[in-house]
Amino acid sequence: MDYVSPFDETRRAAQPLAARGRALDGATVVLLDITKRRGDQFLDRIEARLHEHGADTLREAKEIFSKPAEPELIRRIANRGDLTVEGLAD
Amino acid sequence: MDGTTAPEFTLPSVRGGPIALAELRAGGPAVLVFLAEECPTSTLALRRLAPLSAPLREAGVVLAAVFEDPPEIAARVARTTGFAGPTLAEPAPYDVSRAYGLQALPTTVLVDRDGEEADRRVGWDAAGLQELLTRACGTAVEVTREAPVVKPGCAAKCSYDAATIALLDGGTDELEDMFARGWTDGLPVVPPTRERVAAMLGGRDPARVLGEVPPARGVATLERVAACAVLAGCRPAYFPVVEAAVEAALDPAFNLNGQAVTTQPSGQLVVVNGPIRHALGLNGGIGALGPGTRANLTIGRALRLVVTLTGGAAPGRMDRATLGHPGKLGFCIAEDEEGSPWEPLHSERGFAPDRSVVTVIASDAPLSISDHRSTGPEELASILGWAAAATWSPNWWPLGATSVYVICPEHRALFAAAGWSKRRVREAMFAAVTRPARELRSGETTPFVLAADPDATITKWTSPEEIVVLAAGGEAGRYSALLGPCLGMEAAIVSREVVESA
Repeated sequence: MDYVSPFDETRRAAQPLAARGRALDGATVVLLDITKRRGDQFLDRIEARLHEHGADTLREAKEIFSKPAEPELIRRIANRGDLTVEGLAD
Repeated sequence: MDGTTAPEFTLPSVRGGPIALAELRAGGPAVLVFLAEECPTSTLALRRLAPLSAPLREAGVVLAAVFEDPPEIAARVARTTGFAGPTLAEPAPYDVSRAYGLQALPTTVLVDRDGEEADRRVGWDAAGLQELLTRACGTAVEVTREAPVVKPGCAAKCSYDAATIALLDGGTDELEDMFARGWTDGLPVVPPTRERVAAMLGGRDPARVLGEVPPARGVATLERVAACAVLAGCRPAYFPVVEAAVEAALDPAFNLNGQAVTTQPSGQLVVVNGPIRHALGLNGGIGALGPGTRANLTIGRALRLVVTLTGGAAPGRMDRATLGHPGKLGFCIAEDEEGSPWEPLHSERGFAPDRSVVTVIASDAPLSISDHRSTGPEELASILGWAAAATWSPNWWPLGATSVYVICPEHRALFAAAGWSKRRVREAMFAAVTRPARELRSGETTPFVLAADPDATITKWTSPEEIVVLAAGGEAGRYSALLGPCLGMEAAIVSREVVESA
């Protein structure tokens, strides 16, 4: 039978993950706070551990956790960082 | 076939548009993996070859999957196996497979940069495929030696006679096929044949785009929305309401993205006002929040299917609701405007009373409120208001989000007899529900409560405007309902007028 798909397959294709294994020493890691309660505390701990491994860190924050990051924020993170850690918290 | 010219072809890609063999080998050799969903060895092969797709591409080799299946099936297998390379779908009677002389699946064919077939392997043969891929790349390629290292395949569909192919093309149970494709919310659906979708569209432009549906940002063409309406069981006459509901839900102010992925239970309540309620037989009377009325159930379901299928918010996957609620199957109600002493919702929101309007509200499951004893409006408003006290969390005051009250006819009559307006009902509910801050300082409470003086009076809502009052329900029984809030979304209530002409 010939059906009309409700899916948008262009958005469902498997996307390869970015390459892993980059060294932390000397890397710039962006810590993205999604502004959920205590997310900043979680990122504080992660930041301290990253410094122990020789990484530089930058902090960014979303305006509200329930909405996607603004394109400008995503661009800024991509331009300034080698890696990003996004903390989901509650 | 070694050394012969590989037959040229153009087939539909599951990610949109046709792809020709010439495109696949434009930058170097192409490796074609012919397969079919019914063949377990095909699935095994694609799953094991999937991780090689990216490194092969870096070496200038395109690894492509060519399915003897419809595009939806091919897309699903590619997705579940993690295969990200070009994925093509060959329709019956499988002329391309026949041109390649396939007898069994999977068959892997190496087409070199000159368009010659340089190698071919049948079934799963780890060593043989490693040789083929190494030959394609010119450098060593590792193929997993996980057991089984050799596995025979299945007969190619193209190798069957015409009568059997006809059965293969249409021999499956349609309803089961819908489940296999994932085109469902867990219940059986109506298969979206081209004829049904065309009837649903009623002459509207199928390519018109209503927006991107979160969270996966699938593009809501009118054709896909119509496919969801067919799946949901809508009659074509319902489609203008579905279209307006989808448009409203895609308004960024509604924050469907947050609602679609949250661990909260929230669904999308669709409220219909205006003359179209009668034209479609929408129910705002007895059992309006329950089963029994096709228009209510299928219109609400169509919106949810757009979110779930086009938007990719499948429960347990991108929809992370801890429990969810039954309204996430479909949640649509008409307002009983004729039986109400108050202005209807769409009039409150600035629309003329004779317009048909859809309003979407982020909402939790209904909580029934029984009150057969109140004799005055203040008493009843207090009872109804206090039902909200424990919503979201008992000590979370104020809510800072919308509560929806669906007021039944007998409760409405009591307010009407006292001459109370909707506004007065809202204000009385708001004023009735207060507690001192000190009683709210445990468990999940708000920063507002923690910062307040212990004896300060805290209200359940920030303002009476957070209370929405709707009229619906059967004439007998003093049961109204409260639909709890969806928090943290800044989810505005959004209305759209229904446009009935194509």
